[in-house]
Amino acid sequence: MTEPRPANRKKIKDKDFELIQAINSGQFDRFPDLVKRYEHKLYNFSLRMCRDEADAEDTVQETFLNVFRYLKNFRYETKFKNWLYRVAASTCIKKRRKSKFAPKRELSLDEFFPQDEAEVPDQVPKWALRPLDKLLNDELLDKINEAIFTLPEKYRLVIVLRDIEGFSTAETAQILNLSDANVKVRLHRARLFLRDKLKGYFENE
Amino acid sequence: MNKNEHDHKHCLELFQKLSEYLDNELDQVSCKEIEKHIKKCVPCFVCLQTLKRTVDLCKQAGNRPVPRDFSKKLKEVIQNMPKTPPAG
Repeated sequence: MTEPRPANRKKIKDKDFELIQAINSGQFDRFPDLVKRYEHKLYNFSLRMCRDEADAEDTVQETFLNVFRYLKNFRYETKFKNWLYRVAASTCIKKRRKSKFAPKRELSLDEFFPQDEAEVPDQVPKWALRPLDKLLNDELLDKINEAIFTLPEKYRLVIVLRDIEGFSTAETAQILNLSDANVKVRLHRARLFLRDKLKGYFENE
Repeated sequence: MNKNEHDHKHCLELFQKLSEYLDNELDQVSCKEIEKHIKKCVPCFVCLQTLKRTVDLCKQAGNRPVPRDFSKKLKEVIQNMPKTPPAG
Protein backbone atom coordinates (compact mmCIF):
# COMPACT_ATOMS: atom_id res chain seq x y z
CA MET A 1 0.00 0.00 0.00
CA THR A 2 3.02 2.29 0.24
CA GLU A 3 4.62 3.75 -2.84
CA PRO A 4 7.67 5.95 -3.30
CA ARG A 5 6.59 9.56 -3.38
CA PRO A 6 8.00 11.74 -6.16
CA ALA A 7 9.18 15.09 -4.79
CA ASN A 8 6.92 18.16 -5.05
CA ARG A 9 3.92 16.30 -6.48
CA LYS A 10 0.77 18.37 -6.21
CA LYS A 11 -1.87 17.11 -3.77
CA ILE A 12 -5.23 16.27 -5.30
CA LYS A 13 -7.96 18.01 -3.34
CA ASP A 14 -11.10 16.01 -4.10
CA LYS A 15 -14.38 15.87 -2.16
CA ASP A 16 -12.84 13.54 0.44
CA PHE A 17 -9.73 15.65 1.07
CA GLU A 18 -10.93 17.46 4.20
CA LEU A 19 -12.46 14.37 5.76
CA ILE A 20 -9.28 12.35 5.27
CA GLN A 21 -7.15 15.15 6.65
CA ALA A 22 -9.41 15.27 9.73
CA ILE A 23 -9.15 11.50 10.27
CA ASN A 24 -5.40 11.54 9.76
CA SER A 25 -5.03 14.41 12.21
CA GLY A 26 -6.56 12.24 14.94
CA GLN A 27 -10.34 12.65 14.53
CA PHE A 28 -10.93 8.91 14.27
CA ASP A 29 -14.60 9.37 15.11
CA ARG A 30 -14.96 10.77 11.57
CA PHE A 31 -14.01 7.42 9.98
CA PRO A 32 -17.64 6.18 10.01
CA ASP A 33 -18.47 9.18 7.77
CA LEU A 34 -16.07 7.79 5.19
CA VAL A 35 -17.63 4.33 5.54
CA LYS A 36 -21.10 5.79 5.10
CA ARG A 37 -19.96 7.66 1.99
CA TYR A 38 -18.68 4.55 0.22
CA GLU A 39 -20.31 1.44 1.72
CA HIS A 40 -23.08 1.27 -0.89
CA LYS A 41 -20.71 1.58 -3.84
CA LEU A 42 -18.18 -0.82 -2.35
CA TYR A 43 -20.84 -3.36 -1.44
CA ASN A 44 -22.07 -3.48 -5.04
CA PHE A 45 -18.55 -3.55 -6.46
CA SER A 46 -17.65 -6.44 -4.14
CA LEU A 47 -20.89 -8.27 -4.92
CA ARG A 48 -20.12 -8.06 -8.64
CA MET A 49 -16.65 -9.39 -8.01
CA CYS A 50 -17.43 -12.07 -5.40
CA ARG A 51 -20.99 -12.95 -6.42
CA ASP A 52 -21.59 -14.57 -3.03
CA GLU A 53 -23.25 -12.14 -0.58
CA ALA A 54 -21.31 -13.31 2.48
CA ASP A 55 -18.00 -13.02 0.58
CA ALA A 56 -18.97 -9.52 -0.58
CA GLU A 57 -19.73 -8.46 3.00
CA ASP A 58 -16.40 -9.87 4.23
CA THR A 59 -14.63 -8.05 1.41
CA VAL A 60 -16.23 -4.68 2.21
CA GLN A 61 -15.37 -5.08 5.90
CA GLU A 62 -11.79 -6.10 5.08
CA THR A 63 -11.45 -3.18 2.65
CA PHE A 64 -12.49 -0.62 5.25
CA LEU A 65 -10.20 -2.18 7.86
CA ASN A 66 -7.32 -1.96 5.36
CA VAL A 67 -8.24 1.63 4.54
CA PHE A 68 -8.18 2.52 8.23
CA ARG A 69 -4.86 0.71 8.64
CA TYR A 70 -3.17 2.43 5.68
CA LEU A 71 -4.92 5.80 5.47
CA LYS A 72 -1.89 7.51 7.04
CA ASN A 73 0.09 6.45 3.94
CA PHE A 74 -2.37 8.08 1.53
CA ARG A 75 -0.47 10.93 -0.16
CA TYR A 76 -3.31 12.61 -2.10
CA GLU A 77 -1.49 11.81 -5.36
CA THR A 78 -4.69 10.39 -6.76
CA LYS A 79 -8.37 10.87 -5.93
CA PHE A 80 -9.16 9.08 -2.66
CA LYS A 81 -11.89 7.10 -4.46
CA ASN A 82 -9.31 5.65 -6.87
CA TRP A 83 -7.06 4.62 -3.98
CA LEU A 84 -10.06 3.10 -2.17
CA TYR A 85 -10.98 1.01 -5.21
CA ARG A 86 -7.38 -0.09 -5.51
CA VAL A 87 -7.59 -1.45 -1.96
CA ALA A 88 -11.04 -2.95 -2.69
CA ALA A 89 -9.93 -4.60 -5.95
CA SER A 90 -6.91 -6.15 -4.30
CA THR A 91 -9.05 -7.39 -1.38
CA CYS A 92 -11.57 -8.87 -3.85
CA ILE A 93 -8.83 -10.64 -5.80
CA LYS A 94 -7.49 -12.24 -2.60
CA LYS A 95 -10.99 -13.25 -1.55
CA ARG A 96 -11.82 -14.65 -4.97
CA ARG A 97 -8.80 -16.94 -4.89
CA LYS A 98 -10.45 -18.76 -2.00
CA SER A 99 -13.89 -18.70 -3.60
CA LYS A 100 -15.64 -21.42 -5.56
CA PHE A 101 -16.75 -18.90 -8.20
CA ALA A 102 -13.57 -18.44 -10.14
CA PRO A 103 -13.92 -19.10 -13.86
CA LYS A 104 -10.46 -18.41 -15.23
CA ARG A 105 -9.91 -18.25 -18.93
CA GLU A 106 -8.59 -15.94 -21.61
CA LEU A 107 -11.04 -14.37 -24.04
CA SER A 108 -9.67 -14.10 -27.55
CA LEU A 109 -10.90 -11.62 -30.11
CA ASP A 110 -11.39 -14.35 -32.71
CA GLU A 111 -14.14 -16.04 -30.74
CA PHE A 112 -16.32 -12.92 -31.09
CA PHE A 113 -15.65 -12.29 -34.75
CA PRO A 114 -17.96 -13.95 -37.30
CA GLN A 115 -15.92 -16.73 -38.92
CA ASP A 116 -18.21 -17.90 -41.71
CA GLU A 117 -20.77 -16.37 -44.00
CA ALA A 118 -23.74 -17.79 -42.05
CA GLU A 119 -22.67 -15.93 -38.91
CA VAL A 120 -22.26 -12.57 -40.64
CA PRO A 121 -25.25 -10.38 -39.70
CA ASP A 122 -27.10 -8.55 -42.46
CA GLN A 123 -29.20 -6.17 -40.37
CA VAL A 124 -29.17 -4.43 -37.01
CA PRO A 125 -31.28 -6.50 -34.56
CA LYS A 126 -34.31 -4.91 -32.94
CA TRP A 127 -32.74 -4.92 -29.47
CA ALA A 128 -30.07 -2.52 -30.69
CA LEU A 129 -32.59 -0.19 -32.31
CA ARG A 130 -35.42 0.11 -29.78
CA PRO A 131 -35.24 3.09 -27.39
CA LEU A 132 -33.40 2.08 -24.23
CA ASP A 133 -36.31 2.87 -21.90
CA LYS A 134 -38.63 0.65 -23.98
CA LEU A 135 -36.12 -2.20 -23.79
CA LEU A 136 -35.19 -2.14 -20.11
CA ASN A 137 -37.05 -4.29 -17.62
CA ASP A 138 -36.17 -6.27 -14.49
CA GLU A 139 -35.66 -9.52 -16.40
CA LEU A 140 -33.16 -7.87 -18.74
CA LEU A 141 -31.32 -6.24 -15.84
CA ASP A 142 -31.06 -9.65 -14.16
CA LYS A 143 -29.76 -11.06 -17.42
CA ILE A 144 -27.10 -8.35 -17.69
CA ASN A 145 -25.95 -8.87 -14.11
CA GLU A 146 -25.92 -12.64 -14.63
CA ALA A 147 -23.83 -12.20 -17.77
CA ILE A 148 -21.36 -9.96 -15.88
CA PHE A 149 -20.98 -12.70 -13.24
CA THR A 150 -19.97 -15.22 -15.90
CA LEU A 151 -17.07 -13.08 -17.17
CA PRO A 152 -13.62 -14.28 -16.09
CA GLU A 153 -12.38 -12.11 -13.22
CA LYS A 154 -9.72 -10.07 -15.01
CA TYR A 155 -12.22 -8.94 -17.64
CA ARG A 156 -15.01 -8.41 -15.11
CA LEU A 157 -12.83 -6.14 -12.99
CA VAL A 158 -12.18 -3.90 -15.97
CA ILE A 159 -15.75 -3.68 -17.28
CA VAL A 160 -17.18 -3.09 -13.80
CA LEU A 161 -14.71 -0.26 -13.15
CA ARG A 162 -15.11 1.30 -16.61
CA ASP A 163 -18.74 0.86 -17.58
CA ILE A 164 -20.49 0.52 -14.23
CA GLU A 165 -18.37 2.52 -11.77
CA GLY A 166 -17.50 5.09 -14.44
CA PHE A 167 -13.71 5.27 -14.02
CA SER A 168 -11.68 6.44 -17.03
CA THR A 169 -9.20 4.19 -18.81
CA ALA A 170 -6.28 5.90 -17.05
CA GLU A 171 -7.93 5.60 -13.62
CA THR A 172 -8.79 1.93 -14.19
CA ALA A 173 -5.20 1.28 -15.25
CA GLN A 174 -3.97 2.95 -12.08
CA ILE A 175 -6.41 1.05 -9.84
CA LEU A 176 -5.48 -2.33 -11.34
CA ASN A 177 -1.81 -1.54 -11.96
CA LEU A 178 -2.16 -2.23 -15.68
CA SER A 179 -1.20 -0.29 -18.78
CA ASP A 180 -3.88 1.79 -20.55
CA ALA A 181 -3.50 -0.51 -23.58
CA ASN A 182 -4.16 -3.58 -21.45
CA VAL A 183 -7.29 -2.00 -19.95
CA LYS A 184 -8.59 -1.23 -23.45
CA VAL A 185 -7.98 -4.77 -24.69
CA ARG A 186 -9.70 -6.35 -21.69
CA LEU A 187 -12.61 -3.92 -21.85
CA HIS A 188 -13.24 -4.60 -25.52
CA ARG A 189 -13.23 -8.38 -25.00
CA ALA A 190 -15.48 -8.09 -21.95
CA ARG A 191 -17.98 -5.98 -23.90
CA LEU A 192 -17.94 -8.46 -26.81
CA PHE A 193 -18.53 -11.31 -24.37
CA LEU A 194 -21.55 -9.51 -22.90
CA ARG A 195 -22.80 -8.60 -26.36
CA ASP A 196 -22.83 -12.29 -27.31
CA LYS A 197 -24.72 -13.16 -24.11
CA LEU A 198 -27.30 -10.45 -24.83
CA LYS A 199 -27.58 -11.53 -28.44
CA GLY A 200 -28.32 -15.07 -27.25
CA TYR A 201 -30.91 -13.77 -24.81
CA PHE A 202 -32.77 -11.71 -27.40
CA GLU A 203 -32.64 -14.45 -30.03
CA ASN A 204 -34.33 -16.84 -27.62
CA GLU A 205 -36.84 -14.28 -26.37
CA MET B 1 -24.04 -1.15 -47.96
CA ASN B 2 -23.25 -4.68 -48.97
CA LYS B 3 -22.75 -7.83 -46.94
CA ASN B 4 -20.14 -8.90 -49.53
CA GLU B 5 -17.97 -5.90 -48.66
CA HIS B 6 -17.11 -7.79 -45.48
CA ASP B 7 -13.40 -8.47 -45.91
CA HIS B 8 -12.22 -10.61 -43.03
CA LYS B 9 -8.75 -9.08 -42.55
CA HIS B 10 -9.67 -5.43 -42.86
CA CYS B 11 -12.82 -5.87 -40.77
CA LEU B 12 -10.87 -7.66 -38.05
CA GLU B 13 -8.43 -4.74 -37.90
CA LEU B 14 -11.26 -2.27 -37.35
CA PHE B 15 -13.20 -4.68 -35.14
CA GLN B 16 -10.36 -4.48 -32.59
CA LYS B 17 -10.82 -0.72 -32.30
CA LEU B 18 -14.59 -0.46 -31.93
CA SER B 19 -14.63 0.05 -28.15
CA GLU B 20 -12.00 2.77 -28.40
CA TYR B 21 -14.11 4.37 -31.11
CA LEU B 22 -17.20 4.31 -28.87
CA ASP B 23 -15.19 5.76 -25.98
CA ASN B 24 -13.76 8.60 -28.11
CA GLU B 25 -10.27 7.31 -27.45
CA LEU B 26 -9.21 6.85 -31.05
CA ASP B 27 -7.16 9.21 -33.17
CA GLN B 28 -8.94 11.14 -35.91
CA VAL B 29 -7.51 9.08 -38.77
CA SER B 30 -8.75 5.78 -37.30
CA CYS B 31 -12.16 7.33 -36.50
CA LYS B 32 -12.58 8.46 -40.08
CA GLU B 33 -11.50 5.06 -41.35
CA ILE B 34 -14.15 3.34 -39.22
CA GLU B 35 -16.84 5.81 -40.23
CA LYS B 36 -16.01 5.35 -43.91
CA HIS B 37 -15.92 1.56 -43.55
CA ILE B 38 -19.23 1.11 -41.72
CA LYS B 39 -21.02 3.05 -44.43
CA LYS B 40 -20.35 0.20 -46.84
CA CYS B 41 -19.90 -2.84 -44.57
CA VAL B 42 -23.17 -4.02 -43.01
CA PRO B 43 -21.66 -6.63 -40.65
CA CYS B 44 -19.29 -4.06 -39.12
CA PHE B 45 -22.11 -1.53 -38.84
CA VAL B 46 -24.22 -4.14 -37.02
CA CYS B 47 -21.27 -5.00 -34.82
CA LEU B 48 -20.80 -1.37 -33.81
CA GLN B 49 -24.50 -0.82 -33.09
CA THR B 50 -24.85 -3.98 -30.98
CA LEU B 51 -21.65 -3.18 -29.10
CA LYS B 52 -22.86 0.35 -28.40
CA ARG B 53 -26.18 -1.01 -27.13
CA THR B 54 -24.33 -3.50 -24.89
CA VAL B 55 -22.36 -0.65 -23.30
CA ASP B 56 -25.57 1.38 -22.81
CA LEU B 57 -27.25 -1.60 -21.14
CA CYS B 58 -24.24 -2.37 -18.97
CA LYS B 59 -24.32 1.19 -17.64
CA GLN B 60 -27.89 0.54 -16.47
CA ALA B 61 -26.96 -2.59 -14.48
CA GLY B 62 -28.05 -0.90 -11.23
CA ASN B 63 -27.10 -1.35 -7.60
CA ARG B 64 -28.62 -3.30 -4.73
CA PRO B 65 -29.19 -1.69 -1.33
CA VAL B 66 -26.74 -2.66 1.40
CA PRO B 67 -28.43 -5.24 3.68
CA ARG B 68 -29.44 -3.46 6.88
CA ASP B 69 -27.93 -6.16 9.12
CA PHE B 70 -24.60 -5.88 7.37
CA SER B 71 -24.59 -2.09 7.59
CA LYS B 72 -25.23 -2.36 11.33
CA LYS B 73 -22.51 -4.98 11.76
CA LEU B 74 -20.02 -2.89 9.80
CA LYS B 75 -20.79 0.14 11.96
CA GLU B 76 -20.12 -1.92 15.10
CA VAL B 77 -16.84 -3.31 13.72
CA ILE B 78 -15.67 0.20 12.86
CA GLN B 79 -16.67 1.54 16.27
CA ASN B 80 -14.79 -1.26 18.02
CA MET B 81 -11.56 -0.75 16.07
CA PRO B 82 -8.56 0.45 18.05
CA LYS B 83 -8.71 4.25 17.96
CA THR B 84 -5.15 4.62 16.76
CA PRO B 85 -4.35 2.94 13.45
CA PRO B 86 -1.04 1.07 13.43
CA ALA B 87 1.80 2.94 11.76
CA GLY B 88 1.96 1.76 8.13
